[in-house]
Amino acid sequence: MKKRDIQALPTYLILVAPALLIYLFVVAYPIGYSVWLSFTDFNPNKGGQWDWVGTLQYSTMFKDPNFWHALKNNLIVVAVSVFGQIPIGFILAYILYRKKVKAVHFFQTFVFLPQFLSTIVIGILWKRLFQADGPISRIIQIVSKDPQAQFELMLYADTVMIPIAFALIWVYTGMYMTIFLANLQKIDDHLIEAAKIDGATESQIFLKVIVPLLAGTILVSSILAIAGSLRGFDLIFSITTQGLQRNNAMVLPIFMYQSAFQNYTNEMRFAYGAAISNIIVVISLILIGISRLVGKKTDY
Amino acid sequence: MKKGKVFVLALLVMVMIVPSLWAQGAQEAGTDGKVVVKTMAYGDNSNQEGVNWVRIVNSFEKENPDIDIDYEMLYDEAYHQKVVARLAAGDVPDLAYMGADARWGLPWKEAGQQFDHTEFLDPDYYDLNLIPPMDMNGEIYEIPLGTSNITTVLFMNTRLMDELGLSAPETYEDMVAMVPVARKAGIEVLTIDGADGWAWGSCLMSAVVARMSGDPQWVSKAVAGEYSFDDKVMIDSLSFLNRMVDDGVLLEKSVLVDYGANVSNYNNEKALFMVQGQWVAGGIENPEVANATKMIAWPTLPGEKPGLEGSVAAAIQVGYGLTKQGASDPEVRDAALKFLRYFFSHAETTQRLRDGAIVAPILKDFEVPSDLPSIVKEKVALAQRAPNTDVIDAFLSGDANEALNTGMQKIVSGQSTPEEVAMQVESLVQR
Repeated sequence: MKKRDIQALPTYLILVAPALLIYLFVVAYPIGYSVWLSFTDFNPNKGGQWDWVGTLQYSTMFKDPNFWHALKNNLIVVAVSVFGQIPIGFILAYILYRKKVKAVHFFQTFVFLPQFLSTIVIGILWKRLFQADGPISRIIQIVSKDPQAQFELMLYADTVMIPIAFALIWVYTGMYMTIFLANLQKIDDHLIEAAKIDGATESQIFLKVIVPLLAGTILVSSILAIAGSLRGFDLIFSITTQGLQRNNAMVLPIFMYQSAFQNYTNEMRFAYGAAISNIIVVISLILIGISRLVGKKTDY
Repeated sequence: MKKGKVFVLALLVMVMIVPSLWAQGAQEAGTDGKVVVKTMAYGDNSNQEGVNWVRIVNSFEKENPDIDIDYEMLYDEAYHQKVVARLAAGDVPDLAYMGADARWGLPWKEAGQQFDHTEFLDPDYYDLNLIPPMDMNGEIYEIPLGTSNITTVLFMNTRLMDELGLSAPETYEDMVAMVPVARKAGIEVLTIDGADGWAWGSCLMSAVVARMSGDPQWVSKAVAGEYSFDDKVMIDSLSFLNRMVDDGVLLEKSVLVDYGANVSNYNNEKALFMVQGQWVAGGIENPEVANATKMIAWPTLPGEKPGLEGSVAAAIQVGYGLTKQGASDPEVRDAALKFLRYFFSHAETTQRLRDGAIVAPILKDFEVPSDLPSIVKEKVALAQRAPNTDVIDAFLSGDANEALNTGMQKIVSGQSTPEEVAMQVESLVQR
């Protein structure tokens, strides 16, 4: 280390220390604590006694059918985010960027609007749409001419994620549209003009010029979508009612919450919840790793 | 960099950080001289319970400027979530809305925060005969808002019944006979918030299983191991749900109706009967419907054993109680008890009675006003005449209770059989 660097070290430490301390206490400590907790039977309500139980929480989790059900639902949410919200957001942004519709600002605001609403409020709104004799059921009744017909997809584990996928797309597509639009606006118009002069069609411009230029943005959006999908709790929690619907639509964060905070019969429930949350992080890292790998392979 | 510059930089950092710390300290010291009672209250700004709470705290603090009721008010699931989170985080309130059973009392019990109020309750003020013991040695962990909480009430709209030429059912078959009449009128016989899992257990099955077994304590005995949840009694009780759907008394779509929609259906006269607990009486805001409402127990059910005719399931009502932590500081304890006495004043208790929040008061020498709304009189009359049985989630908790509640939703929507649900519940009960 140079003498000048050594002299600057105290200043460096003084400047870095506050942020570092906050990071250590707010981010690093809870992660470390959660990992430790998941290998114990610690229950903070039991007087601080704990024993090391090894991988018991993890083996219990892998044997729990609710875990696999929640993981399946979570992967559906990830798929909806990555293959639904992002492409739709991209296409909408492209339509607006290329001014293929009139009233660009109106549509931009309209699609982005859900971002201004509280997720809980959105969840309750969608719940109202799906309830017995609610707006969607009424439409079904009118179309089918059966006054008893109901929108029942929320009742079945196999179909519950379909209406939820619609809600997820409605809520979050606007955010990705805005990200893509902001990046599209940075593209030099001359590139598109040159492609046009070379005889490129609109689809060729989109696929051969725009998509490669925004590969980095697509990757970042995918990472955001994956991370957001795996920790997503509020929308699905509020869109479903307590009981059958919520169990059908259970994703890992809800499974973690119910295991850690509601199942009083499991005295190790906090440690079990910690194990589930750690697995959520691991799955996130794996998926993000895969998306980066795919991103590198398709880098232009 | 010169030492002088380093010093100036350090000074700048200090100047930036210290005032914020100081400001935080000043904020905490803002309540200087006051006894602060950290409280978890129940309600929200849109319901009577929450509005009354805010009003009571404001007037109490005005009369007692040396006491600060520092409360956090939450309602429904948000309350349950926050209780668990606060207890786990060690952020224990001094005073809280709580119960003593498996649904409302377990978190406090597990955290060792239940405090026996017995010696602090003035027997000349509270009628201790009306506050049931909450543990083995007669402990009283909370002061209930009222006497026992009836959870399995049939709210009957007598105006609609009269219009359709119907009379109060004495047997379940009488309800079945109402189905074609109600359908012709474009309404339902029964509305229940079947989208909420807990409603099936608390508001329906608690009554059914007691009637089918003839044992008012069937649930608590089953949890203790004396009976089994896959006994024929339980399977028959769960099968009754199928029968209700087949008979048209209960509609399959009930599993898509949530709490708000259920009350709204009844308020808007879309059903002859509503299944819920006594507390909903205050939520019947249509005055015509409220005045025409009779609160009754389930009529005689098919297969019901003799001895429990007209019974309702009822649990010790929730209320407010000191935590062990709150009681450990005599100043806080005395301030909280003073507030509780104010909260349970005759005037406020009368208001609670009028609002339909309680069945009957737990105060000594309480004179019931003669001008109570008719629906409140209905409630008091039901409490006086109906024998009480166990409420399921007062004894059954965790995964087993969840399996039972969702299982009933699956039975009604045709996804499970009573036998499957009963076996799953039994496999999850921890004794």
